[in-house]
Amino acid sequence: MNKLLLTLFAIIFSIASYSQKSVSGQILDQETKDPLPGVSVNVKGTEKGVPADFDGNYVISGIDENTILVFSFLGYKTQEILVGSQSIINVQLEIDAQSLDEVVITALDIERDKASLGYSVQQVEPEEFAVAQENNVMNSLQGKVSGLQITQGNTGVDGSSRILLRGVTTIDGSNRPLVVIDGIPVSNSSSGGNPNGGIDRGDALSDINPEDVASITVLKGAGAAAAYGSLGMHGVILVTTKSGTTQNGIGVTVNSSFNVTEIMLTPKLQNEYGMGAFGAFSPIGGDGRPNLDYPSSWSYGPKMEGQDYVNWLGNDDVFSPRDGNPYKEFYQTGYSFTNGVAFEGNTDESSFRVSITNQNTDGTIPNNTLDKNTINFRASSNLSDKLKIDGKVTYIKSKVKNRPELGEGAANTALQLALMPRDVRLEDAKNNIVDADGNEIKWNLDNTFNNPYWALKNVYNEDNRDRFQGAFSAKWDVSDNFYITGKTGLNYVVTDFTTHAAAGAQAQYNGLGGYSNSSSKSTSWNSDILGTYTKDFSGFNVTASVGANYRSDGGSSISVWGSDEKVPDFYRISNYAVVGDSDYEWEKIVYSFYGLGQVSYGGYVYLDATIRNDNSSALPADNDSYWYHSENLSFLFSKFFGIESDTFNKGKVRASYAKVGNDTSPYRTQSSYSIDQARTLDYTVASIPGSLPNPNLKPEVSHSWEVGTELGFFNNRIHLDFTYYETLTEDQIMAVPISGSSGFSSYTTNAGSIKNKGFETQLNLVPIQNDKFTWDMGLSITKSKSTVESIDESLESITLNSLMGVSIEARPGEEFGTIYGLDYLRDNFGTKLITDEGLAQPGERIKLGSINPDFYGGISNNFSFKNFSVRTLISYQSGGEFFSWGRGYRQMFGTDATSLEGRETGIIEEGINENTGFENTVPISPLLKNYTNNFVSNIRKDLIFDASNVKFKELVISYDIPKKALNSVGIQGATVSAVGRDLFFIYNPNGDLDPDASNGSSPTATALEHASLPSTRTYGINLRLNF
Amino acid sequence: MKKLQNIAYKVLVVLLVGFVVTSCEDTLEDVRENPNNVTSIDDAPLFANAARSLFNGTLDEGSYRFAGQYGHYYVAGSTARQPDQYTDGFDGNYNGIYNGMYSGVIKHIEEVLVLTSEPETANPVRYAIADVVAAMGFARITDGFGEVPYTEGGKGKTEDILTPKYDTQEFIYNDLIDRLSQSINVLKTADPAMGYPDSDPVFDNDLDRWVRMANSMRLRLAMRMRFVNPTLSQQVVALCLSEPLMEDNAHNAYMIETEGQGNAWYGRRTGFPSIKMSTMFIGQLEGTADPRLSVFVEKDGNGNYTGQKNGLNDEAFGQSDFASKSDMGIPLSSKDSKIFLMTASEIYFLRAEIALIYDNNPTEANNLYRMGIEASLEQWDIDAAEITTFLASPTATLTGSVDEQEEQLGTQMWIALTPNYFEGWSHIRRTGYPVIEQRTDPDLEKGATNGILPTRFLYSSFEMSSNGTNASEAINRQGANKIDTPIWWDKN
Repeated sequence: MNKLLLTLFAIIFSIASYSQKSVSGQILDQETKDPLPGVSVNVKGTEKGVPADFDGNYVISGIDENTILVFSFLGYKTQEILVGSQSIINVQLEIDAQSLDEVVITALDIERDKASLGYSVQQVEPEEFAVAQENNVMNSLQGKVSGLQITQGNTGVDGSSRILLRGVTTIDGSNRPLVVIDGIPVSNSSSGGNPNGGIDRGDALSDINPEDVASITVLKGAGAAAAYGSLGMHGVILVTTKSGTTQNGIGVTVNSSFNVTEIMLTPKLQNEYGMGAFGAFSPIGGDGRPNLDYPSSWSYGPKMEGQDYVNWLGNDDVFSPRDGNPYKEFYQTGYSFTNGVAFEGNTDESSFRVSITNQNTDGTIPNNTLDKNTINFRASSNLSDKLKIDGKVTYIKSKVKNRPELGEGAANTALQLALMPRDVRLEDAKNNIVDADGNEIKWNLDNTFNNPYWALKNVYNEDNRDRFQGAFSAKWDVSDNFYITGKTGLNYVVTDFTTHAAAGAQAQYNGLGGYSNSSSKSTSWNSDILGTYTKDFSGFNVTASVGANYRSDGGSSISVWGSDEKVPDFYRISNYAVVGDSDYEWEKIVYSFYGLGQVSYGGYVYLDATIRNDNSSALPADNDSYWYHSENLSFLFSKFFGIESDTFNKGKVRASYAKVGNDTSPYRTQSSYSIDQARTLDYTVASIPGSLPNPNLKPEVSHSWEVGTELGFFNNRIHLDFTYYETLTEDQIMAVPISGSSGFSSYTTNAGSIKNKGFETQLNLVPIQNDKFTWDMGLSITKSKSTVESIDESLESITLNSLMGVSIEARPGEEFGTIYGLDYLRDNFGTKLITDEGLAQPGERIKLGSINPDFYGGISNNFSFKNFSVRTLISYQSGGEFFSWGRGYRQMFGTDATSLEGRETGIIEEGINENTGFENTVPISPLLKNYTNNFVSNIRKDLIFDASNVKFKELVISYDIPKKALNSVGIQGATVSAVGRDLFFIYNPNGDLDPDASNGSSPTATALEHASLPSTRTYGINLRLNF
Repeated sequence: MKKLQNIAYKVLVVLLVGFVVTSCEDTLEDVRENPNNVTSIDDAPLFANAARSLFNGTLDEGSYRFAGQYGHYYVAGSTARQPDQYTDGFDGNYNGIYNGMYSGVIKHIEEVLVLTSEPETANPVRYAIADVVAAMGFARITDGFGEVPYTEGGKGKTEDILTPKYDTQEFIYNDLIDRLSQSINVLKTADPAMGYPDSDPVFDNDLDRWVRMANSMRLRLAMRMRFVNPTLSQQVVALCLSEPLMEDNAHNAYMIETEGQGNAWYGRRTGFPSIKMSTMFIGQLEGTADPRLSVFVEKDGNGNYTGQKNGLNDEAFGQSDFASKSDMGIPLSSKDSKIFLMTASEIYFLRAEIALIYDNNPTEANNLYRMGIEASLEQWDIDAAEITTFLASPTATLTGSVDEQEEQLGTQMWIALTPNYFEGWSHIRRTGYPVIEQRTDPDLEKGATNGILPTRFLYSSFEMSSNGTNASEAINRQGANKIDTPIWWDKN
């Protein structure tokens, strides 16, 4: 480091000794006329040069009349100007259409030349997400940004998405990157049900209207994110909304999309055997209906060959295969309409943009709908030469009806369709949902299941969300080299969630009917003040900022619930005999001070440093203050060595180090007592919470570093961006599960460390580029591995998630998210040991896989020909495993296609008899095998599947209608696009199982598949008109 | 002008920063406290919680999934049936039972014991009452698992013990008896005003009934030791007989759960998996024309009492027409059914056993036996005429050899403990009555015990990992962590 500085100083002094004449001027963007800070002004043929300051001003001295000045700025075309007699040279640079997005928005919304950054960032342009309009804009990023892993849950319209940036670094918590909209961090927690049931209430990211987004920048490492404090520990996704500054005069944009969603993949069911057990019909009971208990109501009955029999309703019927796929019969084609209009205007001093968008979606599950309206207003004005203000208001109102019940939830329609005996006609189930007494009719006695048609009609939920976002910022240019920005933003969300179920089905409120309503409010208020000083001297450009941040997060909720309805079809709390209520309130405040500094020299060396101090109310008073810092270095060696040419146009190496601290959720440091909800008791009952607080908590710390390079060849027609990174997160705050004999279930403490390392590569190619035809392609590869270095000493492992004997664990020395479950009982040679009865047996609990892919990414190919463009995206994942209990369950119920094996002959388990040592020859019935192995013995070896896949993720075909045709009708531009998303699997080793299927968006959500709703694909058309 | 502006600006910044720093520190302090909970509390609400947990603990998974089926009272369907096959793959349930007792009764009563013995808040009467609750809670845990953390158990908060050491069951039993004796001594003469006048879910602060229950509990513990330490057993029995015991159904410890869905058996009878009463239980009641049959068992859809056989293997179960068998009786399993902790009938039966075995006094034994039956019938509101008839039947008189009388007594006690199935299973483990034969029939599942009735719950794999050293020590003393390893007092 010192050597480098010495070299730099040597260079400066050598330059200083040559001065003869000086030239100054301002450099502007040719189109917007905005000043361009940081433009390199170089003397051709020498290493001499200066950068332009924040207002685009430069002064260069020590030159003469014959000097040719080279004005270069990444993302712009380079200009060369002979000095001659001029002493003031103002320059307007033209954007270089060929260059690849080199100006990026970075932390604290500072626009930076990407070349100057010492860490990995990737910016995504509107055409990548605005056309293929996803309800959750983040889904459009899948496969497009290296390091980013996005999985959309199968949880109905407006479901949440699992988002990981560079894998998992903390054991506790969502591990989701921070999302910052126009400088205001928004709460971004994962959501969803789990394999045992529940619903997915979506995440905050679906409240970002793709139409209003100008760009999305992904800041990957902690070095990039340090400016956001601990919130940015898992990386940052910066969303910048459109501000109206790009259009002169008044412009109107109308955008309309129509999408159709249909089922893409369903489990394959057998269609040969109907209800019964061990090959026999279920015995007919006293009520004239077959015995509907297990296993009689499974699909292990006789072969369906047109026999006469008594069906589940007790009616005489013919026992023959029912045609069709019950999923496709039950679910419908979903539709979505999105219509938006935006007005924007620009005068010399002010600009504004106002937009309104309406989205109406009918999901594939009948009754599952979304109605969302977004109003967005943004305006900015230069009040004076020195003062610029910018303000924004967004209001989003969304209503989702009937978010589907998931996993083992009684009303999960996919669960019931998967398990329904194969001779049951859906039509019969639909026409027979209640008996004369108003009680639900179904085909089994299991009171944890519903008839899906009863559930459709009688189980209801409605989720209303009102989100208000307001932001205001001001920039005051105090002097030429000093400015202050102030920014404050508020994010206020009100939700109102109602559920109810009619009486008559045991699975819902014991048949009594029930209701719940909860409303919650949450507010986060974030304010920053930042002063920035910039100074050029002797070829150096120095920028230093100091700032302070105040952030408060808080909220409250009130819930009421009741069961035992008094009159039917009336859903208010007064209608219930047994009622309860609760309220809750929380608040957390963090205030911070920070400093940012940047030194650059010659347009080829950039050194950034950040230091920040956070003070959090969630930590105990003695330990509530913590520091972090980051250092980032960017070195454009191609420029430094003067080896840039058309062939090798860019060579950059970068390095970054960051230490980031983190606090925790509030109220984990003090012991307390809760007063129990009791309505009928004449005495008070209080409880001690199950988690032991810790008055000595300290902040958790992560240390991370990364190195990377960016190389451009043939004017960026080949561009490679490579990063290697490592992060060590220590003293993680978590609730460590402790022995129940302590009286408590967990203890909040600093325990455990995770090491996360990997690399990301983004390769962009432009194989063909001419006036008529362009083909560019992108390839991203990410490999990320998180290893658990240690956990609390008292524990062997921490179970992150579990289902039916399979657990996802964090175990010291192993990968985070290792899947454990029972193997078969085997001898020393690995041969299965079979009992005299012919049954396999449970053996050791072993590592069955890992939730993490070996590597993943996407391949995009974009073609444009005259007015046509075609964009394709293929996403892929190699490695990683998941547990499908859905498969195990269907096998047990005899509905899965794989359960057909051995129906007539029995199954002979492979292996040797445990007593004789001879090869097993005892056949067992498939029912007994599947029930015993899957349910009684919990053998999981054969229910773990490879999550590798290649998916045709996106296809967009756009046509720009020629302007000539439009001008006559007053339209300035029109684009028609056809969009297809999640089209099909190009490669999927498991055929009928979707490796991405999940019931939520937690880090481990994709690892445990159970009764997932069918995966869907979407087609649509999009029309955009500019007036 | 420019200069002035700069100065003004600098002042502003200094003021602003100063303001921000000072006000922030205060603000952090303001929001640090959890507004949803209280930070200090009287011990009464915690006592009420522990006492209620004791009652609801009799309905826990240990009773429902295990003891009810081990005790051959009923067979549960679907997933809940597996314990009936004597298998042991119930790690989650074992963990749940164990944690449930510690986090319910023990954690809260431990806090009460600390609060009522701290100098500022000391109250020996409340302490004595709480200690009875603690003793009953610990007895329940050790009867299920054998050795468990006792001296250090439940002290995560009060003494920061996160990995408590285990104690032998012998030590626990001895200490529980001492604690009960001390409580009896205190409560006999205590001023009720110092008890829990407004927050006693058990006896509404009736200290006489507390004394009777504490003493009856001591008697139960003493009789548990009959086969493992007869000398001590007899000594404690003698002490117990010198103090008041439960003698009337008015002394019974019961609670009616009015919160939530009420008595958990209601949900289990009406919900899924269903519960069908056993052939053994129905056979016993039907064969003796016991009027409690209609109380404990519902008629099936055809108007008959049909039982489900315990222990069937999957194939035999599939053929058994389980769904059409008799449900649990409505008086046992309604929302407002009483939840019994201990009843007078049990104490009469124990006293009959004492008379028969320790005192060698068959006449007194028979008297007490009959009083036990009468108390049980009255407990379930059987009408007087039916009681008279039943008491006149041969079932209600002890006859035959001592062993035969013991079996008769054991069988009646098994019935009378309904629906406290956990105590029913403990009773069978202790006395061997009613006899549960080893399963040899090919239709029956032998499970992990070769068909022998399981004798304990396992330490869960979670306990083995989170408190492994201590649990391993216990296993070294007690025997392998298996469901057929007998616990200390289990000698039959």
